Amino acid sequence: MNQRSLLCALILALVVLLRASPAAAEPYLAVEEGYKCNVCHVNPTGGGLRNDFGLTYAKVLLPAETVDNTLDSWSGKLTDRLRIGGDLRADWSRDTQPNSPSQQSFSLEQFRVYADLVILPDRLGIYVDEQVAPNGSQNEEAYVRYGSTTDGFYLKGGQFYLPFGWRLQDQTAFVRQVTGINMETPDKGVELGWEHSAWSAEFDLTNGAANATAGSGYQVTTQVVYTKPIWRVGLAGSSTSSTAGDRRMGGLFAGLKTGPIAWLAEGDIVHDDSLERTEAAGLLEADWRILKGHNLKLTAEYEDPDRAVRNNQATRYSLVYEYTPLPFLQVRAGYRHYFGIPQNNEQNQQLTFFELHGYF
Amino acid sequence: MNSRTLTTLTRGGLALSAALLAACAGNGEGLDANGQPLVPGGSAPLPLSADFESIQENIFTPICSVCHAGASAPQGLRLDAADSYNLLVGVPSTEVPSLLRVKPGDPTDSYIIQKLQGHAAVGAQMPDGCPTTQPCLSATTIGFIQQWITNGAPPAAATATAVSAPLAVTSIVPEQMDSMNASPPQIMVAFNHELDVSQLPTMSAHFEKLAPVATPTVIEQVPARISLSSANLRALMIWPVRALSAGHYRLVTDATSSNQISDIAGQQVTLGAPDERGETVISTFDVEALP
Repeated sequence: MNQRSLLCALILALVVLLRASPAAAEPYLAVEEGYKCNVCHVNPTGGGLRNDFGLTYAKVLLPAETVDNTLDSWSGKLTDRLRIGGDLRADWSRDTQPNSPSQQSFSLEQFRVYADLVILPDRLGIYVDEQVAPNGSQNEEAYVRYGSTTDGFYLKGGQFYLPFGWRLQDQTAFVRQVTGINMETPDKGVELGWEHSAWSAEFDLTNGAANATAGSGYQVTTQVVYTKPIWRVGLAGSSTSSTAGDRRMGGLFAGLKTGPIAWLAEGDIVHDDSLERTEAAGLLEADWRILKGHNLKLTAEYEDPDRAVRNNQATRYSLVYEYTPLPFLQVRAGYRHYFGIPQNNEQNQQLTFFELHGYF
Repeated sequence: MNSRTLTTLTRGGLALSAALLAACAGNGEGLDANGQPLVPGGSAPLPLSADFESIQENIFTPICSVCHAGASAPQGLRLDAADSYNLLVGVPSTEVPSLLRVKPGDPTDSYIIQKLQGHAAVGAQMPDGCPTTQPCLSATTIGFIQQWITNGAPPAAATATAVSAPLAVTSIVPEQMDSMNASPPQIMVAFNHELDVSQLPTMSAHFEKLAPVATPTVIEQVPARISLSSANLRALMIWPVRALSAGHYRLVTDATSSNQISDIAGQQVTLGAPDERGETVISTFDVEALP
């Protein structure tokens, strides 16, 4: 191992050992508060529809200014058994790459609606996450859930996101791209979950993306998270068997709250048999809640697309300011700078964006 | 843990991790634009940009043509440098025939974009197996293809300026004696000049299925439809009106058809070659029975 490789290995280890914080759609909030994902979300593995407490948090604790009375009656519940919610993100972005003209555009990033029907309280329910736009309707999650998602075992069956590392809002993060597990890649199968005290654990048996057309194997994914008020640590693993080639992944992620800053870290290793390739990715994120309703997010990321090839690593740095002036409205402004091999323009792009995020 | 220790940890963690991670971006020494080790004697790669030559070199050749090549290319779509443009631009998709694979000026309704973004109505997201066995193309990379389509999907500069050479056939897909594992959606005959579309009504052709005996005997005829997309006047497309069953085939021009092709400047070239019976054979190929 030469000095450069040793340095990179040390950094990856540091990213993991610094014990930044754990995962959900905005997992830094969970780290700041010391919450497990199921404290705010209907889905015990995080993201999507918010529960009673999640909505209260969005109405009272997150925004810079609360709105008296007007929102008191809004709980997302259409009836005692049916709750709905949604997220809409619209943005303007400008992408600049070396040797190429800049590209800029307005776009509707996503409009998703969620629904949860409780058939038997604390025992049986149906959950749906549907992307309405852009590009027409597309189902993201749709599953039947049996058991308790707050304390004890539960079983999911249908289509859902796999549990692996931090469930970040930014689906383009290296750790979410390299593992291929993010909130745009649901899978079909079953999940056995367990929630108890500080522990959360999931075991998933799904088709695996490689078997989407071939149907030649399965993907097994498992994750265990231990959550304490100011820190947490999680371990994830996944193995896919397929005639297209087997894939194995391992990940370690952690969170830590130090004063006003919530830290998240994740390190992942991915090996593809068919490609004879091992990839690595790391994330370090710091979220500083400057004032109520104001959050500054800094991230540093690392990717090695093939451990056997030298000089091909890439890094990415992001600075994002999130302002939540009112309940259910957020404005985000961000800048990302990619650093990669100089002969690849895309690996050296700069991205500036403004995003309007409405949710309920 | 007191507040001073936490502050020190916070500052130290930020500074150290940022500095160390920055040092890790690869310098690219000895690699091509895709991050793969350079082959000795290879030429320097083109940077990715919104032109066909660059897209071919950076995306179609290294990523897509791994599968989309040869006689059994999925959907008959070859994405090697010789054939990709003519099989993409103005050509209906086989999965959703109402959509063109590339519709110049309209990336949203171009099937290739839907397939790369994973929103196509049929089949899996491309590249096949992404993101499990290989990465999906990033939004930025797809953006270059979208921009090329928005720009009108022009051909590579070298192709566009090749008019000084005499009119000639540059490629026929399937090639002579190709063996495919499915009925070809079409036979593509590519030229180095734009063709004169007014001659199309004078042309007709059909497919002949031949018995596997020493003297070719026609056991079935399948009519063909000939088209020339206004989006790409360099590629003549000949479509069987129904899927071809397993067997040995040849594509021949009808006896009443002209086998002379003209470009827009009036230059002519003879299409196909006459066989022992005097018929003009454009292509000969096999369709194999699936196991």
